[in-house]
Amino acid sequence: MDNYVLEIVIENKPAARDPEGETILRDLMNQNGFEMVKNVRSGKFLRVNLEAESREEAKSIVYRMCNDLRIFNPVIHVVTINVKD
Amino acid sequence: MKVAVIRFPGSNCDLDAVYVLRNVVGLETELVWHKDFNDGDFDAVILPGGFSYGDALRAGVIAAYSPAMKRVKEMAKEGKPVLGICNGFQTLVESGLLSGALLRNDCLTFICKWVTLRVDNTETMFTNIMERGQIVRMPIAHNEGRYYNDAEALREMEENHQIVFRYSDDNGRLTPDSNPNGSVENIAGICNLEGNIVGLMPHPERASEQILSPFKTDHGRLLFESMINTIKRMRRM
Amino acid sequence: MTIVDGVQVDLKPEELKQAEKMLRKKPNAVEVGMIDIMWSEHCSYKSSRPILKLLPRKGARVVVGPGYDAGVVDIGDDYVAVFKIESHNHPSAIEPYNGAATGIGGIIRDILCMGARPIALLDPLRFGSLKSPHSRWLFKYVVKGIADYGNCTGIPTVRGEVEFDESFESNCLVNVTCVGIAKKGDIFLAEAKYPGDAVVLAGGSTGRDGIHGVTFASRTLTEESEEDRPAVQVGDPFTKKLIIDATLEILKTGFVHGLKDLGGGGLTCASSEMANKGGTGIDIEVSKVHLREKGLTPFDIMLSESQERMLFIVDPSGVETVTGILNKYGLAWSNVGKVTESNHVNVFSNGSLVAKVPAKLLAEAPIIERKVEKPSYIDTLQAVEKPPMPEDLSEILIKLMASENIASKEWVYRQYDHEVGVRSVVKCGEGDAGVLRILGEDKGIAVSSDCNSKHCYLDPYNGGAGAVAESCRNVAAVGALPIAIVDGLNFGNPEKADVFWQFKEAVRGISDMCKIMQIPCVGGNVSFYNEDEVTKKAVKPTSIVVALGVLNTLKNIITLTFKNVNDYVVLLGETLSEMGGSEYYYSIYGIEGGIAPKVDMQREKSTIDLVLSAIQKNYVNAAHDCSKGGLGAALSLMSIKSNHSIEIDLSKINMGNLRLDELLFSESNSRFIVTTPESNVDNLLKLAKTRGVPAYRIGNVSSSSRVVFRYEDNEIVNCDLKDIKTAWEKTIPSFMGR
Repeated sequence: MDNYVLEIVIENKPAARDPEGETILRDLMNQNGFEMVKNVRSGKFLRVNLEAESREEAKSIVYRMCNDLRIFNPVIHVVTINVKD
Repeated sequence: MKVAVIRFPGSNCDLDAVYVLRNVVGLETELVWHKDFNDGDFDAVILPGGFSYGDALRAGVIAAYSPAMKRVKEMAKEGKPVLGICNGFQTLVESGLLSGALLRNDCLTFICKWVTLRVDNTETMFTNIMERGQIVRMPIAHNEGRYYNDAEALREMEENHQIVFRYSDDNGRLTPDSNPNGSVENIAGICNLEGNIVGLMPHPERASEQILSPFKTDHGRLLFESMINTIKRMRRM
Repeated sequence: MTIVDGVQVDLKPEELKQAEKMLRKKPNAVEVGMIDIMWSEHCSYKSSRPILKLLPRKGARVVVGPGYDAGVVDIGDDYVAVFKIESHNHPSAIEPYNGAATGIGGIIRDILCMGARPIALLDPLRFGSLKSPHSRWLFKYVVKGIADYGNCTGIPTVRGEVEFDESFESNCLVNVTCVGIAKKGDIFLAEAKYPGDAVVLAGGSTGRDGIHGVTFASRTLTEESEEDRPAVQVGDPFTKKLIIDATLEILKTGFVHGLKDLGGGGLTCASSEMANKGGTGIDIEVSKVHLREKGLTPFDIMLSESQERMLFIVDPSGVETVTGILNKYGLAWSNVGKVTESNHVNVFSNGSLVAKVPAKLLAEAPIIERKVEKPSYIDTLQAVEKPPMPEDLSEILIKLMASENIASKEWVYRQYDHEVGVRSVVKCGEGDAGVLRILGEDKGIAVSSDCNSKHCYLDPYNGGAGAVAESCRNVAAVGALPIAIVDGLNFGNPEKADVFWQFKEAVRGISDMCKIMQIPCVGGNVSFYNEDEVTKKAVKPTSIVVALGVLNTLKNIITLTFKNVNDYVVLLGETLSEMGGSEYYYSIYGIEGGIAPKVDMQREKSTIDLVLSAIQKNYVNAAHDCSKGGLGAALSLMSIKSNHSIEIDLSKINMGNLRLDELLFSESNSRFIVTTPESNVDNLLKLAKTRGVPAYRIGNVSSSSRVVFRYEDNEIVNCDLKDIKTAWEKTIPSFMGR
């Protein structure tokens, strides 16, 4: 068993709106000298430490956890899971 | 005597503040759209509560970059009274006019309830008609009201009498139960070194009329009447 | 589902044939899409319109009745109150946070587009039992969605209710109500009356959101629904707040002739309804619509349900002023068309006509006659054996106060800003109704939303009447005269005769009760298809009624807390053995059946009138109506809220054949608990006698810390107030984790 660190990012689906991201882009960045920024999406970030036999197992545990515990709602969210080196 | 209440995009307690200032306290008050707040001869300015910019990223952070804040900073430098209520407090902190940070409530939900405050500094422009240790009642309604500052800054603020209001019980004791959001040292409101800028999370405009208070109190008026007292004094000088 | 020209529609083949006949041509894909959405149950009310006609809509105070975005009633002194109820059940069941949030967004727009400032929200909610993790998930995020949206827009949520029942497990009910205030002359109608006026679309940009969202609400939920995308939109309360501020400023310019929000059915619905009401037509050029995504077809644009959009009908001379205000608030807008004399909604794409449908055809879908058949369960469930008389009524009372449906809902309303606007005089938890003052006047309004779905299930007629009765009682208990209602009707699949029977009975009950109370129904909402596709189980019929009352002074508002030790406690009204659907039967014995409480309508009116008179004459200083949990729960709640206990002698009440547990826990209608000082108790009893209302002096407010009910010399209940309070307070937080 090894220790793995995984990063989970939960965002609204690309097809769905992200009013918070839009507000940050339009009213904070573009308004205050950063017009070159074209798009901002906001989300929730979790960094998870767990024990597993392999990277693949670690990733699969986290996927299952995200689904079973409704850490994200597939109706509106997409989730990205990365194993940190 | 004329004061301004600034409306940022998403402010929603601006009309409340204007109503109370005009009708309860009897002060000439102008509601100014943030983009239009660049001059005008105001004796004081109030940044009201609400959800400026929908609280995107962090409450008050986008409003801190509003062009209105340039004039607010000038007024502050001129020593005029500046009051930040709730989201206004958050904006003053984000723009560097007040020290510290306002974080998410430790219970992680929005809380709307009446709290009890102890007045710890009666030398500010908004508390000079109150008494030290006075117990006042006001409601809070916020998501990100947990005041935080590092130990060293807090020590300095204590020494410089910058803590204005603290959450307390009916006897003035700073109990954990009386702290609704986990603010460090039960801090509910603070001021700058000079005492002309005050920020607080509770809403004095909702506590200025007995009919709205479950305790039939109107302590919120004391802040506004202190402000008037200050302006009168300043004009005489 | 049918496929026409590659377009998936929910209309049945017969309905499509009828449309073709009315159009006198075969509709193209865009036209089919427009008709499909406008003729969906959610948009057209095709099943319910004939039944809803039963509801009384007229009255001296009615300024705008049903048929517009919200009802408008005269509250005196040139002020009007505007209110409406909506449902967002299906979206909330699959995405509770955004489903509930966009529900709030929608109802706010309905009030705003009448020209009124929205000043309060109410949230009547229903979920499965909190023992189910799925229901806890829905509950948590629905409340959060309502909180985040309502708080951000600065509209206080002042009143609500939550019911928990297994039938709502896969079909939660999220009904939201908004109330607004305006001066009579400021009211706008959603009508496009003047050909030549410009059609300005303002607010959020248009994307592929919710295409077929309205037809989705007219289908039952299945496994596939969880994949349905993008069926639930993301709420944007920041933009909504800007829209509220901009709209109220724009309306002051005088250049706006009509206003409508875009909700279900999007641009198709808004344009066809405004044209139909105005007797005109509207031309829309879709290439002018400000878009969020590339590649949207005319079909997409006309059917999109993107949020936060308003349609302004503007005098051509005022377009610059109006759009100038929109620019000030940073709101996107586009001038998308004009009002015409044509009676058609004509859709152009870069100058080419792509759709042409008469506005009337879109806005007035043909009615579908549904069959009714009384379900067999009604009679079966009535015949239920009485449970044994319990030994320890103290223990039963505490258990009842801790049951989900009676326990404190503070966990919910602490998350709502119920004070913003400085109008909230009676706040959540303080009285039987939310009370808001009119700023600058000695005047206020009171609102309450109520329904007992268990009662409705056993007896839809009396359940419907009971919802009117309960919400009027709640409004009267604070001292306000009930003057109008709106109703939110939530039922299963109307294509099933037993469901449609429930619906018809509930509407009949509401109508009859309104007629006796002389109160009009000025609007409402019907949500059908709340049925689990797999189990075919429908929700318990839920006919929510929101009553609005007027207070002509703020000086005599009555709350439910005791005011003085030794004050007399008086029970007004008669208690009957009507245990069916009671919380007592369900949470103590698991019994669902029995005879549900009936409404003696004349008696209900007399009792409500009596309470209002008594309050006006200063005979009472606290009032609370009896509903869930009956007399026992009502007395306990008043004690908990006052932190003062009571000594009650039940033998003072006319019991008839009632058992003691029935006396304590029956949920009979037409009853209030009031308190009065010694100096006024005789006056109160005399007044009750002249009005023909039974009144029983049952005890006193005491200074002990115990809640005591006796029957003559026998102690029936003796609890520590602290124990009842703790049990009542901790149920919901203990389920929800804090």
